[in-house]
Amino acid sequence: MSGASVRAPRASLVRLAAQLPRDKADTLLLLGAALMVLAPHAGHLPLWVSSLCALTLLWRTVATVRGTRMPSAFLLLPLSMAAMAGVFMSYRTLFGRDAGVAMLVLLVAFKMLEMHAKRDLFVVVFLSFFLVLTNFFYSQSILTALMMVASIIALLTAQLSFQFTGSVPPLGRRLWMGARVFLLAAPLALVLFFLFPRIQGPLWGMPSDAQGGRTGLSNSMAPGNMSNLAQSDEPVFQVRFLDPVPPKPQLYWRGLVMGDFDGRTWTQLRRRRLPDNVSLTARGEPIRYELTLEPSSNSWLFALDMPDRLPVLSGNSVGVSSELEMGATLPLSKRVRYELSSHVDYSLDDGDQLNERARWLALPQGFNPRTLETGAQIAQMSADPAARANAVLGMFTKLPFSYTLQPPLLGRDSVDEFLFKTRAGFCEHFASAFVVLMRAADVPARVVIGYQGGELNPIDGFLMVRQSEAHAWAEIWIAGRGWLRVDPTAAVAPERVQRGLSSALAQNAPAFAGLGGLLDFGGERNALLEQLRFRIGAINNGWNQWVLNYTPDRQSGFLDSLKLSLMHWRNLAILAAIGAALLLWRAIRQRRETDPVDALYSALCRRMSQLGMARAADEGPNAYAARLAQGTLAQDKLAAIERFLTLYSAHKYSARPPASGLASTLKSLLNNI
Amino acid sequence: MAASLKRFIPAAVRAKADTWLFQKRGVDPGETLLTQRRVFILPSGAGMGFAALILILLIGSINYSLGLGFALTFTMGTCAMVDIYMTYKNMAHLHLRPGRAQPVFAGEVAQFELHLVNRTKLDRYALWVDFMEAGEARHVVDVAAGATSAVVLSAPSTERGWLAAPRIRLSTRFPLGLLRAWSYWQPDLNALVYPFPEENGPPLPISGVESADGHGHAGHDDFAGIRSYQPGDPMRHMAWRQIARLDPADGGQLVTKHFEGGAVDELVLDFNAMPSIMNLELRLSRMTRWVLDAEQRALPYAFRIGATDFEASIGEAHQAACLRALALHGLKEAP
Repeated sequence: MSGASVRAPRASLVRLAAQLPRDKADTLLLLGAALMVLAPHAGHLPLWVSSLCALTLLWRTVATVRGTRMPSAFLLLPLSMAAMAGVFMSYRTLFGRDAGVAMLVLLVAFKMLEMHAKRDLFVVVFLSFFLVLTNFFYSQSILTALMMVASIIALLTAQLSFQFTGSVPPLGRRLWMGARVFLLAAPLALVLFFLFPRIQGPLWGMPSDAQGGRTGLSNSMAPGNMSNLAQSDEPVFQVRFLDPVPPKPQLYWRGLVMGDFDGRTWTQLRRRRLPDNVSLTARGEPIRYELTLEPSSNSWLFALDMPDRLPVLSGNSVGVSSELEMGATLPLSKRVRYELSSHVDYSLDDGDQLNERARWLALPQGFNPRTLETGAQIAQMSADPAARANAVLGMFTKLPFSYTLQPPLLGRDSVDEFLFKTRAGFCEHFASAFVVLMRAADVPARVVIGYQGGELNPIDGFLMVRQSEAHAWAEIWIAGRGWLRVDPTAAVAPERVQRGLSSALAQNAPAFAGLGGLLDFGGERNALLEQLRFRIGAINNGWNQWVLNYTPDRQSGFLDSLKLSLMHWRNLAILAAIGAALLLWRAIRQRRETDPVDALYSALCRRMSQLGMARAADEGPNAYAARLAQGTLAQDKLAAIERFLTLYSAHKYSARPPASGLASTLKSLLNNI
Repeated sequence: MAASLKRFIPAAVRAKADTWLFQKRGVDPGETLLTQRRVFILPSGAGMGFAALILILLIGSINYSLGLGFALTFTMGTCAMVDIYMTYKNMAHLHLRPGRAQPVFAGEVAQFELHLVNRTKLDRYALWVDFMEAGEARHVVDVAAGATSAVVLSAPSTERGWLAAPRIRLSTRFPLGLLRAWSYWQPDLNALVYPFPEENGPPLPISGVESADGHGHAGHDDFAGIRSYQPGDPMRHMAWRQIARLDPADGGQLVTKHFEGGAVDELVLDFNAMPSIMNLELRLSRMTRWVLDAEQRALPYAFRIGATDFEASIGEAHQAACLRALALHGLKEAP
């Protein structure tokens, strides 16, 4: 090695020592911890912010390693001003969640270049802790939680690293110290997490971008709406059945009822104050369940067709329309959970007369002439509304209709085009066409949208309903029987209702086998993979139920159940046993920690007392040895005892440090006695 | 801030708080154990910042209903609690043992040696130690598990006699710096402060007191210093002190005290013989100078002060005994 290359690092080290508030390793550690915190934000920040941060951290790393000067405030100040302006340009605001996070990220990165005192280090660490929180705006998955744990340990390690003043343990040991702080803190944090009184946010008006855009059912149905949703895997709600789960073909989750048609788009009937004259007759045992609805920008509540009562939401009132749509007064921007019971066997409005019958027969003038004509023909074929409905369904089965996620685009007379030209569509096409035909055939009919089916997770028993399960079906009114559910899609693709969307698509639309195959990921073909998927699903669901959705309601429920289980004597006994075991373990450990020489002495005394020569309380080892010598012990034993006691007394009462191996000598002597 | 707050607390209350709350009582005899009662703990400035951070995290979590946010908030909060415990453990159950304090001359800085004994299985890091009156602590030590660390604190001495080590404050912020644990200790440690040796004082009072063999006579040129050893020199004239100072292996040589006139004149430093109109401290100061001079010139000297009467001798022990007598003249013997 040449002289220059030796001198150079030494010179930089000297400079380093003069400039860095802590030694190199500590700064690099802090940089690493900050990187762990900043990296997850790269996914949603503008590219220039991520790049600038990366550059800044790189600069600081190079400056640390090479020991060069840090940039002066004259350079940093304009730079940070420019970055601020950049944030404003990118977001058109400096407030709000996303712009705030971007500014904070830049602040942490720039602060790295401006660390001079211990106080600055604390500022960086504390800001980093806050950045960990802001990451939860974008993701609260299990992976994010694991990343949070890793970040906390890294930040704690960095924080404690610059507390050392003299000797600094190696990084591994410091990491363990940081992890130890976390591990000691975690159990209590867990208890606090479940017991700390939860307050339902928000505390003040939320920034407009607080809730990301969410797809979902809309309050109108036009061709193409539902098929868009079918491609979204986003969960809508999950259901825990308290009673046996009804078979899949009965899992119709009622959402909205559409009665107005403008030729292309279905909308809800304009609301009018109607007297509460809905007659609902439920038969059979109710099915009780608990439904957890994901947040949305809407206020609709879903229920298994047909709920027999209204759910109760805290801080929100629930109403029901005469079509038995349920809705809350306030938008459901938070996850809500409600308990309900439904009857799958029911009749609705089963009188002889239908209120406002004309409204359920209305069709727009001048649209879909061929459909109206066909409807009139069907009306002439039979006087029985049920027979007319069957005729239409028969038409769907006999003619080459196909069920597809990507139906051809439809023009002005959408129903005409669908029925007589394209004959390929999704549930909304079938439902819409069916209802128009029924109305044309003088049978009151309406469209119901909601969800159908759901995926039952055998691991935890939760039924998950995703956006892809969005469905539209029809209801027709028949005197004496009331509103009857008719699902025209089932006539074309019965698998859709029997087994679910993915299998229906796979069979009906071979042209889209690629997409079908994707959706079919969990199909029965690979049972092991499916098991794994269900297991992951169960973990995710537990995560949602216990971590993300631990609302004040859920907390009070949990506390009540905790109280109940604590009152049970068996659980108390188990707790007491655990406590006793812990105490015992502690005692054993303490005992093990006592001086081994003393322990051996006690063992000897115990042995002698078994032989009937117990040591008197006031007897020292020498006096004891003298007394034992008078006794009737065997010569070799006595020699061992005397040697033991001499060694022990010498160890106990001499100023010299204990001889190494004394314990093992005493032990072998004890074995001879 | 603490100082400005203190102004509003009446002195009597403060004194009471010091004795009751902070256990600032008399001297802690011998080895002292920092028990739970003696370790105090309060959040540091960074700790206050951390509390604010937790509050912000909590508000953020509530406002945005972040389940993981709550998890983070509570974890950070309990980490701070763990830090309370760990900071306390870093200080508590430490044994404090006074070390040695070398005698100094008045005006010099006294050095107090202190031992921090860690008999636990826990490594202690970053323990700041200093006298309470020093304000910011200047010394920091680590004490490994089962080990002892020494720290030497210095305090200026002003007057002769016993100088008690001032009260000591130990503090630590380890591991996370969010809290400051501290403790007070009044070690049982005293440094002996000799009188300040007079500068430019009169020469040694070599008086005409007869030596034991009766051959001496008055005059101050009898002792001619030391010369190298020559065979035949009497053993009792060997200048052992000078010989001891320089190892012959290092180029030193055997030396003999050399006397003109062939006899030893005894040097007597008698405090009682000094003019009593002189200031007491000046007299002590002058005696101190003479003791040092006599030692330097390797002249055996007898020493008398009050009831103390030392035979003529020379050497470290003799000098120490004389200086001690001077330091404690008129003061109580024990610290």
